[in-house]
Amino acid sequence: MEFLSIGKDVIRKDAWEKVTGRATYSADVSSPGILHGVLVTSTCAHGKIKSIDYVEASNMPGVKAVLTGDYYPILTGSVLEDHPPLAAGKVRYYGEPVAIVVARSEAEASAAATRIKVYYEKLPTVDSPSAAIKPDSPLVHEHLDQYKKAIPEVYPEANSNIVHLVKIRKGDMNQGWMDSDITVEGTYSLPYADHIAMETRSARAEILPDEQIVIHTSSQSPFAVRKLISQNFGVDLGKVVVHVPLVGGGYGGKAAVQLEYLAVMASQAVGGQPVMITNTREQDMAGSPSKLALEAIVKLGAKKNGTLTAGEYTFIVGTGAYADSGPRMTNSMAMSCTGPYKLDNVWCDAYCVYTNHTYATSFRGFGHTSCTFAVERTMDKLAALLNIDPLELRRKNAITPGETTPTQVVLTPSNLGDVPACLDKLKMLINWDEGVCIDMGNSRIRAKGVACLWKTSNSPTDAFASAVVTFNSDGSANLQVGAVEIGPSTRTTLAQILAERLRLDIDRIHIDMEVNTRTSPHDWKTVASMSTFLVGRAVEEAANDAIRQILSLAAMAIRCSPEDLALDSGRVYVKDNPNFYVDYATIVHGFKYPNGNTVGSQVIGRGTYVMPHLSPMDRETGKGKPGPYLTPGAQAVEIELNTADYTYRILKAATVLDAGKVLNPKSARGLVMGAMGMGLGLGSRESFIYDQQQELQNTSLRTYKVLRIGEQPEYLVNWVETPNAIGPYGARGLAEHGIIGIHAALVNALSRAAGVELDQVPVIPELIWEKIEESKP
Amino acid sequence: MIPFDFEYYLPGSVEHAIQQFQNLDQQGKNPMYYGGGTEIISMARMANISTGAVIDIKDIPQCKVLEFQEDHLVIGAGVTLTQIHESNLYPLLAQAGARVADHTIQNKITLGGNLCGTIIYREAVLPLLLADSEVVLAGPVGCKTLPINQIFKERMQLNKGEFIVQVRTLQSFLSCPYVHVKRTKEDKIHYPLLTICAIQVGNQVRTAFSGVCDFPFRSQEMESELNNSSLTVEQRVDNAITITPGLIPSNLEGSAGYRKFILRNLLISILYTLEA
Repeated sequence: MEFLSIGKDVIRKDAWEKVTGRATYSADVSSPGILHGVLVTSTCAHGKIKSIDYVEASNMPGVKAVLTGDYYPILTGSVLEDHPPLAAGKVRYYGEPVAIVVARSEAEASAAATRIKVYYEKLPTVDSPSAAIKPDSPLVHEHLDQYKKAIPEVYPEANSNIVHLVKIRKGDMNQGWMDSDITVEGTYSLPYADHIAMETRSARAEILPDEQIVIHTSSQSPFAVRKLISQNFGVDLGKVVVHVPLVGGGYGGKAAVQLEYLAVMASQAVGGQPVMITNTREQDMAGSPSKLALEAIVKLGAKKNGTLTAGEYTFIVGTGAYADSGPRMTNSMAMSCTGPYKLDNVWCDAYCVYTNHTYATSFRGFGHTSCTFAVERTMDKLAALLNIDPLELRRKNAITPGETTPTQVVLTPSNLGDVPACLDKLKMLINWDEGVCIDMGNSRIRAKGVACLWKTSNSPTDAFASAVVTFNSDGSANLQVGAVEIGPSTRTTLAQILAERLRLDIDRIHIDMEVNTRTSPHDWKTVASMSTFLVGRAVEEAANDAIRQILSLAAMAIRCSPEDLALDSGRVYVKDNPNFYVDYATIVHGFKYPNGNTVGSQVIGRGTYVMPHLSPMDRETGKGKPGPYLTPGAQAVEIELNTADYTYRILKAATVLDAGKVLNPKSARGLVMGAMGMGLGLGSRESFIYDQQQELQNTSLRTYKVLRIGEQPEYLVNWVETPNAIGPYGARGLAEHGIIGIHAALVNALSRAAGVELDQVPVIPELIWEKIEESKP
Repeated sequence: MIPFDFEYYLPGSVEHAIQQFQNLDQQGKNPMYYGGGTEIISMARMANISTGAVIDIKDIPQCKVLEFQEDHLVIGAGVTLTQIHESNLYPLLAQAGARVADHTIQNKITLGGNLCGTIIYREAVLPLLLADSEVVLAGPVGCKTLPINQIFKERMQLNKGEFIVQVRTLQSFLSCPYVHVKRTKEDKIHYPLLTICAIQVGNQVRTAFSGVCDFPFRSQEMESELNNSSLTVEQRVDNAITITPGLIPSNLEGSAGYRKFILRNLLISILYTLEA
C-alpha cells in the first residue's frame, strides 16, 4: 500500500500559529496577581560570599521578598547532587544566581535588584579543564566526596576537581601499536559556548492552598521537572503539575532544571502566590547552563595502506561549576570515541572536571560535537602523513556490520546503517573530485574538508514513552504524547506516524502543542534525537491497539471476522470487496444497529515503548549498550580563504545521513540545515571569552556572535536509507546529527587552505594569522 | 526591561529643547538629549546609565534637514544613518554609516547620536573629519558653529546642556576620490577591528581611523608621513603606523599585533588605490 503521510512534506501542525505570531510561549502568559522574580547574579567567578546587603532592596516599592542562598538550602543535580539553586556560602562561576527579588512588577523587581550589594572574598580560579586536573589546582568543590549520587554510575574523586572518569578498554593496545607502521597525535581544545535558543528560559510557579505545585516552564523535560521538584520540595509526585507550551528552541539547554527550583522557592517565600522568572538574554547566557568545554589528545596508529590499528583518546571535559549532565556527556564521548571507524584496539580515558565557568548541560550532539572534532582533525593529519586522500582514508576504515563499537556492541545493518554509502553520496554532493584545494588566484584559495560522524543516545536503560489516541465521532483522532515541541516538528512527525497507521488523512489527526504532566502520557525527555523513535514506537502501539478495537467493532457492523477486514482512507472494508465498508465515524463511538441497540463506545488506543536491551557501561572497560541504534553520516565544507588577511567565506556545507527512512523530507532537511548552521557558528565564531579572573567578557549578542542570514553558506543535504528494523517505518533519529562533524569539516578545509594545523575552535581570521606567524622560522 | 521610570519630551524648537534641559537639570533629573535611543535604551536596560528625563531632538526642524544649502551639504543631527545612506549625498558618509551595527539599528541611529555615543568607535565621524566639516551646536549660551577637527578630540567636547543641531560639509569634498574599509573580528556586523576612511584632496591623501586606538581620530602627523612622496608606499605606511596618537589596543575584537598587521595591509592597499 502506498504511504499516505510517511515520506511526505507534511506542513507542521503548529505552522499557522507560528507564522501569524499567535503561538504562545512560557513567558507570554500573564495573569492578574502574578509576581515577578528577578535574579541577582555573581560578578565574581570564584569567591566566598562575605555578606549580602539587601535592606535597601527589601524596602523598595512593590518588593514582596528577597531570597538568598540560606532561604532554602538544598543541593540538586540529575547525576550528582552538588548544586544549590541559589549560591550558598560561595560562588563558583560568573553569572551564578545569588539572590532573587520578588516584586509586583518586573520593573520594580529589576530596580530593587540593582540595589543589592554582594561582598565577595575572591578565591583562586580553575581556568581550564587541563588546569583542573593538576595536583595543586584550587578546588571548585571542597567536599566532593560528601555529595549524594543521583545515579550509581558516577565516580567523583575526593579532594580533586574530577567529577567522573569513564574508561574504554577494547582489544590489545600493545598489539595495535605493534601492527602500526605510523602513529599520529593531535591535541585539541574547544571552549565553553552557549545554546542561544531564540526563547530565553522562563519558569512560573505557584503553590496552591492544598500544597499542589503548579509550574509553567520552557523545558525539554517536563516529567523530570516534576520528579525533581517533588523530591527537592518534599511534595508527592502527583501533586506537582508541570505545563510546557511551545518551546522556542532547546538544543539540550532546556533539559536541565534550574529556574523551576528558583520559581518554586520564590513562590514559597510569598505564600504560594504565582511567581514568574524569565531570563534576560544576558542571564540566559551567563547564568543558565551552557555548552561544555573539551581538551583532547587523540593518537592513532595505522598501517602504510591507511588501515587503522590502534586508537588512544584522552578527553578532559569541562563541565563548569556544577556536574549537571556533564558526566553523562563524558560517557557519551567515550562510547563513541573512535568515530564510525573499524578499530579493534581502543583505549580511552574521559575525565569530567569542574572549572570556574558557567556550568554545562546537554548541548545538541551530547558531547559528540566536541570529541568528533578531535577525531576528525586527527584523521586528516593521518591522511596527510600517509599521503592518502582524506575521504578515501575514511572510506577505507569505515565501520561495517559485524564489527563492534568501542563499548563492544555488535553491529548490524539495522543498528549501524551504511557509513560507506554516506561517504560515497557526500563525495558526489560536494564535488570532491574537482580537487580539495584550488588556487583561484588573487590571494584566494578554495578548499574542502570532510568529516564522519555517528551517534546514538545515552539514556537511562529504563527510559520510556507512552501515547494515547482517542477518537472523535466524526472519525478523526486525537493524539496525546508527552514529547515537547521544541522546534523540530516532533509532534507533527508523531501525528504522521499515527495517520499512516490508521490510514487517515493527516488533517484528521489532531494534536495539541502543550504538554501537561497530569494529562499527557509519560515521556522520558525530549532529548537525544530519540522522540521520533521512542514516542513514535509508543504511537504505533497505541494505533495498533485502536485498530484492534476498530476492526472488532467493524466486524460486528459488517458481520464478518475481523481478519477479513482492512483499513484505508478512514474506512474499514472487506478485503475481497473494498466497496463493502463502514466509515470510522460510524464505529469509533460505538456502532448503533437500526433498532437502536449499540455495541461498543469510544475507541481509545494506548501504547508504550521502553528502550530495548540497554545496559550501563562497565566501569573498567566501558562494555555496555548505551543506545538502541546508531545514526551515521558524513559531512563536508567548502571555504574560500583570502591569504592576504586570512578572512574566509564558507561557500558550501553538505551532509549525508543514514536516516533509515525520511519521514518528512522538508522538516528533516530543515533540521539538518539548522544543525549545520549551528555547528558552523561554533567552528567559526562562537565561544565564551573569559578574562584572567574567569569573568565572562562577551555576555551579550553584541559580542557573542552567531551566524547571521547573510553569512549562511549553500546547504546541501542528502540521505541514505538503510532501514532501522526497530524504528517507526525504519526511521533513525536525526535531529542533532547535522551539527556533529561540521566544524571538523570546516576546520579541515581551513587548515588545508592555510597550510597550518588549526586544532581549536572557533577559527577566527586572527587565529589563522597567529598560527601562520608561529610557523614562520 | 528598563528598571527605572523617566520622562520623555519632544520639543519642536532648538530654544525649547535648551530650556527644557535647563529646567529638568535644575529639578535634578539628570536629563539626556535623545536621538535614536539605541545606546540609551541598551545601557539603561543593563542599568549602566540612569536618567529622569530624555529630550528627543528629532522633532526640531533644523535637526531633520538633509539638503544642500548653497555650497554646503547640511545634515541634521536627527537624521538616521539609513536616510544618509539612501540619499547618498555624501557617498563616503553613506558607506561608513551603512556599516555601523545592522540595518534595523541604522534605521534608528542618528548622525548626532553616533557622533556623541559612548561606544568608542563612532565611525560616522571619520568622513566628517576628512572633509573639515563644521558642527552647529546649540546650548544655554546660544548657537555656534565650530570646525569638527576642533570640537572632536577623541570624542565630541560638548559642554553641559549643549547638543549637535547640524553638520555642514563643503560640497567640494563630497566628490573627492575615497576609500572606505572596515575589518571586523569576523562577522560583517560587528564593532570594527578597524575602520579606515580616506579621501584624496588634490595630491594629498587624508585618512581617519576607528579601532586603531581607543578613540576615532585623524592625525596630521600620520598624514604627512603617508604623503611623503620621497619614500615608497611601504616605507611611508611603516613610518605612519609607528606614530598613532594612542596605543593600539588589544580587546575582544582582536590583539594589537593583528590590528597592526591588518592596518599595514589596508593602508598600503589604500595608498595604491588612491594614487593609481
